[in-house]
This record gives sequence, C-alpha cells and structure tokens, in this order.
Amino acid sequence: MASISVTTRDGAKLQIKASPAIPLMEFLRDGSAGVEGICGGELSCGTCHIYIDAGGESLPPRSEGEQAMLDAIADFVEVRPTSRLSCQVFVDESTPDMQVTVGPVA
Amino acid sequence: MTSNPPVKADINLAQLLEAKSLERCPFPIPTGWYFVDYSENLKPGELRNVQLFDQEWVLFRTEGGKPGMTDPYCPHLGAHMGHGGKVCGEALRCPFHHWEYNTEGWCTSIPYGKVMPPITKKQAVLRALPMEERYGLIFAWYHPTCAEPTWQLPSIPALEDEGWTGSRRGSWTANTAIQEIAENGVDTAHLKFLHNAPGIPPVKAEFHDHIMDLDIGNGYIVGRAYGPGLNVLEFTQNGVSATMISYTQPITPELSQMNMCFRSKAYPEGSMEQAVAKKIIDHMIGAAEGEESAGFESVDFIVWNNKKYRPRPLLCDGDGPVLQFRKWFKQFYDADASTLAKV
Repeated sequence: MASISVTTRDGAKLQIKASPAIPLMEFLRDGSAGVEGICGGELSCGTCHIYIDAGGESLPPRSEGEQAMLDAIADFVEVRPTSRLSCQVFVDESTPDMQVTVGPVA
Repeated sequence: MTSNPPVKADINLAQLLEAKSLERCPFPIPTGWYFVDYSENLKPGELRNVQLFDQEWVLFRTEGGKPGMTDPYCPHLGAHMGHGGKVCGEALRCPFHHWEYNTEGWCTSIPYGKVMPPITKKQAVLRALPMEERYGLIFAWYHPTCAEPTWQLPSIPALEDEGWTGSRRGSWTANTAIQEIAENGVDTAHLKFLHNAPGIPPVKAEFHDHIMDLDIGNGYIVGRAYGPGLNVLEFTQNGVSATMISYTQPITPELSQMNMCFRSKAYPEGSMEQAVAKKIIDHMIGAAEGEESAGFESVDFIVWNNKKYRPRPLLCDGDGPVLQFRKWFKQFYDADASTLAKV
C-alpha cells in the first residue's frame, strides 16, 4: 500500500491508500476525493484529471491517448505540465510520497 | 471381366471416409461489393434492419440522399439503433441518448457532453460499410476487418446506357454459399447432365485480379464476374443478345440470396429480335419454348441446397476449370490459415 496526499477541489486534505495494479483513479473515486472516472479508464471522458504536485518523477510519460484526452479538456480547464489522468497512474510501495490535487470540473 | 476384390491394405481409406468430415459451407463471407437493395426501396429519411454478411445491420438514407449501413449497436451504451433510432438530417440518431453518427460511422453529436471523447475526432467509432449507388442499385463493400475497397464498381452499359430496356427482375434463395453458386459457371459438364444441354459446351476462363472472364460455348455466354457479388452475362442467339446482371448476397455462410435483372437492346416492338431476346431471358431462368435444356431455377437448387463442399474433389478430364476458379475465388477470403485450408 502506498499513501497519497490529496488536495480536493475545495481545498480539503485527504490521505488515500492505493495498492498496485489498480489505477489511482479508483482509489480517488472510491475515497470520495471528487474524482468521477466516468469512462473507467477508456480515455474518453477526462473526469479523473489530477495535478501531481510531488512524487511524479517515476511515472511513465503520458500515452498518446492520455495526451489526446488532456488536449480535449484543455478547452475547458487548465492543463499543466503536471497534469495526468489518474486512470493512467499506478503507484506501489516504491513510489515516493505522492501529493496530488484534484483537477477542476470541465 | 471380373477381378478379385482388393485386399484391405490397398484401399485408400481417406477417399472413402472424407465425406464424414465434409462441411456444407466452410467458407467465410468473402470480401467484395454486394447488392443491398434497389434504390427506389430506400427513401430519404428511411431506416430499417437488414440481415447480410452474417449479421444484422441498420440500413438508412439521409435526408440529403446518402445511403448508410452500420452496425446496429450504439458505441455508447449498446442500444439497437434499428429499433427506435431515426434519421436526423445527415445522421443516424440513437434513440437512447441521441448520439448521432454519419454514414461513415463518425460520431457527429453528443447532445449533453461537453468534451467529445478524443477517439471521435480521430476515427469512426461505429462500424459503417462503404456504400456506392449505381444503376439504381445500392451496394455495400464488405470486408471482415473493415479494409477499404480495393476495386470500384464497373460501368454496366446494359444498365447505364441509352438504348437498353427491360424491367424484369428476380430473386431466389439458395441454401448454400456464394462460392458454390458461382462455381457452376465454370462447371460446364453439369450443363449437359443437370440442365440437359445438347452437349458440354467449351469454356474459356480468364482470371485477373478481382475479375473472371468466361466464354461458354464459343460466344453463346460471355460473362464477367467483378468479385464475388456482381456478374454480367451476355447470352447471344441468332445474332440477338440479352444480358443478365446478377448480384448475389451472402446472408449467412450457408444462405445466399440470388438477385438478377435482365436487359436487352431496345429492339422494335413486335420484332423478331425482341421475341428472341425475350426467349433468351426466359431460358436463362427456367424453361423456354423450343429449348430442351433448363435454366437454373428448375434444376440447380436441388444440388446447391443439399451438397457438401469437397475441398479435394475427384475431377476427371472432361471437367471445367473448377480448381482455377477456386484459386481465383480464394483471394476474397481474409481468414486464418486453418479456415483457408478448408476452402
């Protein structure tokens, strides 16, 4: 189990536990962090957008599909270099302490 | 002369036992252009379900007149768009959430989504078949994994040029695959024995790309096949010609719908030529006065509907170019090696 520090849209701080092989989106969604994850990881909705404020160095780069979805929501919300879709983020014990902020609603 | 029965060890058992493992129709649906319906049967704004290529499709025509044919199930949540869906302008609209698709299968509207899923900007999300409308017929291009057409529909003077006439059409159901029906075109020996023709006519068959040219009986029947779904055959008797245009549809691997129309030059009303042309057409289909042989309607179906396909047939020296035909036809199958081995 890895522990993630989450800042929700209204500024509240949460600690979310995440286990390997399941996308971070599911832990954020099920942990009431305000992430919807509507499409379930199919890269068609953009509702699991997060900013990775710290600890994202070891993540693999965005895939083409993730980039396309981020490009699509960029018309409505701010997409930053630290933006990720949390359905594409997997963490495990070796992931350094990660801090994320839930992205705004499109 | 008598001879001793051979001892068992001499028997080619595979020859005797092969029939046990034969299949009626081991063929996949072949790739090609296929007739869908007559243009006049699909009005702008109309939509209906059709069974073709071993599945159901939604056939529709946009308000602007473009025909479309798509998978029935909406990519969104799977509603059957042929039950409650409708044509809206140039699009097919799903009844469930009003997502819309154009005739190429691209999603053109999601009425309540702010962000269009990125894939909708990149490609079609609903399987839609390429469509062509020519000679008053609607055609769809079928390929099992959605490859684009590799040839175009030909011009057919008998249907497109001035000076031709004929409104006769027919449609027949055959309980077999399209390859089995087409194979009769090169099996000239059956014309004598099944159709009761006076002799076995000579046949010349030439194969190039998707086209097969046939000359049966030194110019009596001159035909060209354009892939598996379109044939144009010209029959000539006493200097008078009539043309059969045939466009068979694969409904399932074991069911085909044979469709034809018949045309001739617009000979003067009441002329001998007009009478000969009519007789030639009667003879193509069934019995005709003064002809002893039979058209396909009365004799071919009993064979088609009950036969099995022999991938290694026992042919003799008097047979037609059956194996050349099969080799040519094989190009229309896009399938794995074990399937191809059976055809």
